[in-house]
Amino acid sequence: MGLENWLKEVEARAREGLSRASPYGVDVDVKPFLEVKEGRPSLDELRVKEVGVDLGARAIYTQVDQLYFKYLSRIPGVEVMRIEDFVESYLDEAKDYVWKLVDPGKDKYTAVAALKGRGGYFIRVKENTKVEEPIMACLFMSVGGLQAPHNVVIVEKGAEATVYTGCTIAPEVIGLHVGISEFYVNENAVLRFVMVHSWNKVSHVRPRTAVYVKPNGKYISYYVNLSKVKTLQTYPVVYLSDNAYTYLASVVLGVEDSYIDVGSAANIDGENASAEIISRSLARDSAKIIARASITAKNGKGHIDCRGLMLSDKAAIRTIPELYALTPNAILTHEASIGRLAEDEINYLVSKGFTKEEAIAILLRGFVSVEVKGLPQKVREYIETIEKLTVEKSM
Amino acid sequence: MKILVVDNVSIGVGEKIVLKNVSMSIDRNEVLFLLGPNGAGKSTLLRALVGFPGYNVVSGRIYFEGEDITDSLMEVRVAKGLALAHQLPPKLLGVKVRQLLDALCRKNKCDVYEIANDLGILHLLDREFGKGFSGGELKRVEVAVLLAQKPKLALIDEPDSGVDVDSIEIVARAIKKLVDISPYKSAIIVTHSALISRYIEPTKVCILMSGTMKICNSRDLIDEVFRHGFRELA
Repeated sequence: MGLENWLKEVEARAREGLSRASPYGVDVDVKPFLEVKEGRPSLDELRVKEVGVDLGARAIYTQVDQLYFKYLSRIPGVEVMRIEDFVESYLDEAKDYVWKLVDPGKDKYTAVAALKGRGGYFIRVKENTKVEEPIMACLFMSVGGLQAPHNVVIVEKGAEATVYTGCTIAPEVIGLHVGISEFYVNENAVLRFVMVHSWNKVSHVRPRTAVYVKPNGKYISYYVNLSKVKTLQTYPVVYLSDNAYTYLASVVLGVEDSYIDVGSAANIDGENASAEIISRSLARDSAKIIARASITAKNGKGHIDCRGLMLSDKAAIRTIPELYALTPNAILTHEASIGRLAEDEINYLVSKGFTKEEAIAILLRGFVSVEVKGLPQKVREYIETIEKLTVEKSM
Repeated sequence: MKILVVDNVSIGVGEKIVLKNVSMSIDRNEVLFLLGPNGAGKSTLLRALVGFPGYNVVSGRIYFEGEDITDSLMEVRVAKGLALAHQLPPKLLGVKVRQLLDALCRKNKCDVYEIANDLGILHLLDREFGKGFSGGELKRVEVAVLLAQKPKLALIDEPDSGVDVDSIEIVARAIKKLVDISPYKSAIIVTHSALISRYIEPTKVCILMSGTMKICNSRDLIDEVFRHGFRELA
């Protein structure tokens, strides 16, 4: 099948999903976002730095609105290109990776991304290449409307890399962001994926992510939402083969009247695979957060740890952890809790010589500190900065 | 001048009066052991002295360094130099032991490594505070935090309960060090088993039973307790 026919097939599948609402999150009318907005897309370097993007990275993909801005890789063994370039240059291979894990007709957002989306990164880490420094991706919305990049990451056998994606938007710009991400972690490979979101009070965000992890592969992800957003809904799913492992951590701050529905799902198909899902939700003002987590397993082990922190009387948090065991060989556990900061813990710290404000900051910092093993030093530093920022915005 | 004076104090917790007309004092170079059976009100007294919310002085006065602190907030009392080592410190989600010690040592100019090494808790520095700690580890970390506070007067609640022998010895050594480096060289130690007396010599012993102070006397009182038990002593 040639490019044209393949694109037509994707389009046909997408059209089936155009009127299909997502089963999760607020249903957003996508039509207003399809008009091309006036204005010249431009990158706000200060803003993207706030979400930890290093524009001087040796491997980076940058996109502003629907326009690709630049991409490059000076790291041996790492390819970075625009998704369209990958599809046009390597069509036969692309057909095995693009729209394979995510169905373009899944819902109206995937449909819109398939029909109207532009750009997105293709990253390939070649066999046995171990990359210390993070591969950066920056997705910025400057004039608003629709931004729907399609991202594909392939980590080949025995390779190891960290992909860091920062997504943000100019203030007051009305936008719908639908990022489609399909990641492939091959045998004995490791992919660490960090995504930092900082939107504005009028933006809608609907990322669609799926990850396939082959035998002995590892997929470690860390997601954080640290700012205002009108509505945000995402529910990435990870498929695990034999002896594969995934660790999915998310830290979600809801402020003002944000409506956030964020989850992580793991599907353990293989023998001896394991999954851990960690979620931390902080709801301030009148924010509503739904934290979902689901592990389905035939074999192996899975654990969910969902915690919610109520920072206001008008906010609401709901956690929905789900465990599906398909055979007696699956060992699945979960723990969940929601509440305010414990007075006893605050008082304990005050008795140690901290002011009440300092005590609250220490406890909030603890709450959002989720240990992600194996991250490069640089990324750990970004995360520390982001944790501090999240604490500041929570208080 | 006495460092701390508790003058005819009654303490309420919620609707209940837990301590009635308690008086005691501590001077320079004094290590006071506060003994009593479970439920006597020992921990309540220490918490009330440090001003822990919910432990209310309903009558009587408390003086620290000659100043009336009865109505002072816990923050103020701690800033003045009082410190409480809790019997059961809470677990702090996501907060590493190192983070707390670092923050305290930044304020109080101390050496985290030295303190952790003294208490044998180097292996716990990067663990979540209190999570999965044994009884001995919990006490050692709590006393490490106390050392990092560098208080003028430490109020130490049951450093010897639920602890293995090795840990008691380490904890006792650290308390001695704390007393040595504190300006008044004094401390108040609550214990119901008095196990810690094998390692630290009290200079004064007070016995609290059923919410009232029965007696304060010299070190010999501890032998009386061992010989006759609290009940007979009462």
